[in-house]
Amino acid sequence: MAVPRLLRAAAPRLYSTVVAPAPARQPRDVDDRLITEPLGHPDFFNVQELFSLKDLFDARVHLGHKKGCRHRFMEPYIFGCRLGQDIIDLDQTMQHLQLALNFTAHIAYRKGIILFVSRNRQFGHLVESTAQECGEYAHTRYWQGGLLTNANVQFGPGVRLPDLLIFLSSLNNVFEPHVAIRDAAKMNIPTVGVVDTNCNPCLITYPIPGNDDSPTAVELYCKLFKMTIIRAKDKRKQKEVFYDLQSKAEGA
Amino acid sequence: MAGNRMQKIGSVFTRTRNLLRIGVVPKPLWFDVYAAFPPLREPVYRSPRPRYGKVKDVVPPVFYPEDEVRARFYRAYGSGPRSFDLSQSNFKSTCQRFVEKFNELKKEGKIEEDRLFEETGKALLAQGIILQRRGTEKVAQPDHQDTQTRDPVLRMRLQTVLEEMQEKKQDQFIQLPAVRMSNCFGPG
Repeated sequence: MAVPRLLRAAAPRLYSTVVAPAPARQPRDVDDRLITEPLGHPDFFNVQELFSLKDLFDARVHLGHKKGCRHRFMEPYIFGCRLGQDIIDLDQTMQHLQLALNFTAHIAYRKGIILFVSRNRQFGHLVESTAQECGEYAHTRYWQGGLLTNANVQFGPGVRLPDLLIFLSSLNNVFEPHVAIRDAAKMNIPTVGVVDTNCNPCLITYPIPGNDDSPTAVELYCKLFKMTIIRAKDKRKQKEVFYDLQSKAEGA
Repeated sequence: MAGNRMQKIGSVFTRTRNLLRIGVVPKPLWFDVYAAFPPLREPVYRSPRPRYGKVKDVVPPVFYPEDEVRARFYRAYGSGPRSFDLSQSNFKSTCQRFVEKFNELKKEGKIEEDRLFEETGKALLAQGIILQRRGTEKVAQPDHQDTQTRDPVLRMRLQTVLEEMQEKKQDQFIQLPAVRMSNCFGPG
């Protein structure tokens, strides 16, 4: 009788799966309005003005790999094959990029944790500095197996996992899909990722078909993500101040 | 805390929606955003099986009507005299100028189709672009001329090296006269 109760009491400490206490909810009308207002507009943060088709073309985003490297599931996103090299359809890329940037902006507005992932050594430093400038996080080194799936054991109980993963290159150094894509799908975390013609776009929530190997292209992506995140955070601060003043005016 | 780690069944959204409906999971941050702005394709897992049997290439090749002129140009003249400068986005290569001239002359319509190619070459020559033909008879001569004019320094170095080698061989002959003489008188 007493033994099972004691075991049950000891169990959380044994397996480090103590549930973090839920944050005290203050159901205020203002909070709800603050959070749900952006969802009404189709492009609340105006991410469309940040890029144009010419910018994508000049940054060589449309250049894919050779015909032999093509992944079967990337075929709908490819415009054609010029003398053996795949050309990505930039009209589709524009749509996907707009959706992805919009999603990122909303997550940043809601104070979500964003993690930049890229195993491409050429741009490791660029990705890390981009994340630092936005005030978000980056992981460009070897991905240990249980970082997301076994987080409570690796980092301690009650870890807050990232709310969005952004992949600047969805392959690892042996040209296989990055483990974090599968892990994020397992942990029900949405992902945004740049998929080249040799990548598998199935499990990525908001794929962006585009070149992930040219320096100009990756610099463009980093610049766009940084600008959207900073814009969203500034908008959030503005809105908080606005609603604060409004409520004070109403109260007074 | 409950969760659903089955990434091969449904999408992230459907699994979270079902968990929310049961009520075992607090609503995540991204749920409303996804519901308001869903992606163009639902991110469901698909197993990447290879195609079996005769594989049809679904991706169309990209060809332009100017490609015929470009192919003839490269077959006749090889790569043009000026190299490609890809850093400028409005760069016009020799081949591109040839193609534009060709289309101009074709639109004018005064020259016949067969002679259009040579006429374009002559027109470009008049503008100052020298096109060297890549024919088999003329390969030998231009090469000799080119090597003679291209690297005089290299030629001088080669000459000095050859002279040194010849001097060394003569020295060897002088040092071993007995061997050479015996060889000379051997069969006899």
